[in-house]
Amino acid sequence: MSDTFIWAVIVGMATANFVVRFVPIAVVSRVDLPRPVLRWLSYIPVSVMGTLVATEILRPGGELQLTLLNPHLLAAVITGVVYRVTRSFLGATVAGMAAFVLLRSVLGMA
Amino acid sequence: MSHSSADISARHGTRMTRASRFARGMRLGTPIFLGYMPVGMAFGVIATTLGFSVLQAGLCSATALAGAGQFIALAVMRTGEGVFAVLAATTVVNLRYVLFGATMSPHLKNMRLPTQAILAFTLTDETFAVNIDDQRRGLSSGASMAGVGAIAWIGWVAGTVIGAAAAGWIGDPTTWGVDFAMAAMFTALLIAMAETKRHTLIGIVAGAIALGLPELSRLGIHIASSWFIIIAAVTAATIGLVVFDE
Repeated sequence: MSDTFIWAVIVGMATANFVVRFVPIAVVSRVDLPRPVLRWLSYIPVSVMGTLVATEILRPGGELQLTLLNPHLLAAVITGVVYRVTRSFLGATVAGMAAFVLLRSVLGMA
Repeated sequence: MSHSSADISARHGTRMTRASRFARGMRLGTPIFLGYMPVGMAFGVIATTLGFSVLQAGLCSATALAGAGQFIALAVMRTGEGVFAVLAATTVVNLRYVLFGATMSPHLKNMRLPTQAILAFTLTDETFAVNIDDQRRGLSSGASMAGVGAIAWIGWVAGTVIGAAAAGWIGDPTTWGVDFAMAAMFTALLIAMAETKRHTLIGIVAGAIALGLPELSRLGIHIASSWFIIIAAVTAATIGLVVFDE
């Protein structure tokens, strides 16, 4: 790749990524949204999280794995239990990573 | 004398509060740091194979902070497309930030434009999740959100630079379980957010839709995977709005 092309990509990416993030915040935070819209927005975070978790856990690497031998699923259950007990995101994340490494080596799956 | 020293300590106290809020945000964001380092390393390694120098790879991560958007850009570059095709791809992948930004906005109402710009710059899936959860607890502030963004940025940029500089001898970082870091953090955040039956149901519906969308290809309906998150989240939130009364 030419150096000019790479620099153009870097500058363009910086601009494109900032605009798509900043404009909605700058505009929407300056208007009063109707109540139904606010309620709809309040459901977005849990929806996004459900989407991300389902995809990461049950479709790891793009392949649907609806089995109890799926190390991602088992490690996620352990992560969830640790979070419920400790209420620590860091503790749950580290426990989940450790459980995943262990389960993956035991179950012999990627 | 005592008057002025009281003033100084009061001023100092205020400054400490803001600094400690920022530090609290950095602690909150530590799981993000753990997840971003290895993924950033992977980006650094791949970028060097396309001709990026260490400086260019690091600058790209430092100014775009786009995760999946950056990987897509590399993939499009590899196909030999031009700059505009690269930018179109990264923009489509990051369209969900329009949704995230709108969701954050009610919490950012009284902030000045430069503060909003900093928080917008560090808006990612992971910082969004951590900050929105913190807001739900009523603990979040501009300083804490900036702290979350800072630790995420450090992890992403440091990972990229390490990956690009050591592309030759870094092994496969996935052997340490780092590829599960994001999934683990999302799982803990999902459980934290699913506090009522209503939210739990909406989260499950969203997950089911996300898993079902790729299956539509069997019916001849092909949707690019970059749209899955936004379609599933919008549909589930809309179902929630229609089904549940206020």
